[in-house]
Amino acid sequence: MYGDLANKLIIEAKRTEQLTQKYLDAALNSDNGGIRNDFNGNETIIPMYNDELIYNILKEVNQLKQNTEYLQHIKQEEEETKDQLKDVLSGHSNDKIRKCQYFVNLLCLERNKRCLMAYQRMRSDIIDKMVWNGLIGSNNMYNNGSKRSGYNELSHYEQEYMSQYKNLIDEMNSESELWSSIEIMGNMNPPSDIFIDIRVLKDIGEIQTEYGTFNFVKDSQFYVRQSDVERLIQQGYVQKI
Amino acid sequence: MGYYDLDDILADSAEIPCKFLHDIPGLGYLENNPGGTIHVNTQLKLPLWLARVLAIIDASSASDDVGNADIFNTEQQFTPFLNMLTPETFTNKVINAIKTDPISLDLHSINPYFYALAIKWIELFSDKDLAEIVSDLLLQRSQVINAHANSTTISYNNNSNSTSSTGNNNTTNNNHALFTLTLDEFEKKIYKEANDSYKDIKKWIYQY
Repeated sequence: MYGDLANKLIIEAKRTEQLTQKYLDAALNSDNGGIRNDFNGNETIIPMYNDELIYNILKEVNQLKQNTEYLQHIKQEEEETKDQLKDVLSGHSNDKIRKCQYFVNLLCLERNKRCLMAYQRMRSDIIDKMVWNGLIGSNNMYNNGSKRSGYNELSHYEQEYMSQYKNLIDEMNSESELWSSIEIMGNMNPPSDIFIDIRVLKDIGEIQTEYGTFNFVKDSQFYVRQSDVERLIQQGYVQKI
Repeated sequence: MGYYDLDDILADSAEIPCKFLHDIPGLGYLENNPGGTIHVNTQLKLPLWLARVLAIIDASSASDDVGNADIFNTEQQFTPFLNMLTPETFTNKVINAIKTDPISLDLHSINPYFYALAIKWIELFSDKDLAEIVSDLLLQRSQVINAHANSTTISYNNNSNSTSSTGNNNTTNNNHALFTLTLDEFEKKIYKEANDSYKDIKKWIYQY
């Protein structure tokens, strides 16, 4: 039956939405710069783009399109013969049948369209949130292929969308006079302490701050000003203890 | 209730028993008989998004030949392609169950989108009786939902204050888990929102 595949897609989308909501709630409630560091690699914020199902639905849409064209063709032919024969009565019942077939086709098309759009909308909403919450780090994070970023789960177009969305925010932050003095990507929760204990997860090297130079070697611990390492926490290089 | 609303889309896929009023060849795939004909009075289940439109558009093709539309045509009753019959969700059995005990009813097992579907159904048929029953149902159940949302907050707070005494709360939490399983999607949303606001209030009170 047409529309069954699309239904499957929406059920998947619904599950994703619930899981993501849970994850984002947890991330926002933690005072850890909005990020959960205990996030293990197997979980992902966004599930894999369902290429196969989408492809099958598109195939179904194509099929429906062919049906519609066929129906149009038939109708034209019928109209021509109707003019010749002036057989109004049979024309009546045929019209009815064609109309019904046409409507069923059209409704299936509409349904598939709605499901596909809703799926994509759900995903782009998650991507937006990921960008705003800094769940997607800087550019070199993508290259590392870090599982946490969820970047690999996106389709090609979604990756493009994401980077352009990010650029848009950066642009707004840097170009507009109103926003340039505010870090709009910053954490919304007020910090509880100015200084925090951190543990270094990856080798970074020397970092210069107002309070001197720190040599961030893997597994070392420091007591630093939170605003200095905010970005590093978001990128997953250091962990707040 | 927007175009992209996943809940609305899912509610729209509820299956409604339908009765065809015309012979329609070529639509056999709707009853797993590709290429076949659907005959008059065939009963089959169609999703709401398909049935709804077929039930409200007029099958008599008046658009083409307005010219020779005679008096009979205009006086003829409006005939759609199919009639929608009452779905299982709103059969007398369910309605009676709602009337007897709205609170302990497992709404989720009847239909996870009970309210969304009810609203659509009431809209279609202007069914005032059903509207009254459903709004009364929601009123009764929302009080229980509120109570549950409030009491989980307290146990949640106890848990976070003293992590050692979690043993006693397990039974109450179990009850809540069972209770939330009987809610439909709309009620779950209410429950979550109520629960969150209670939590926020507690947080705000205890911060001083």
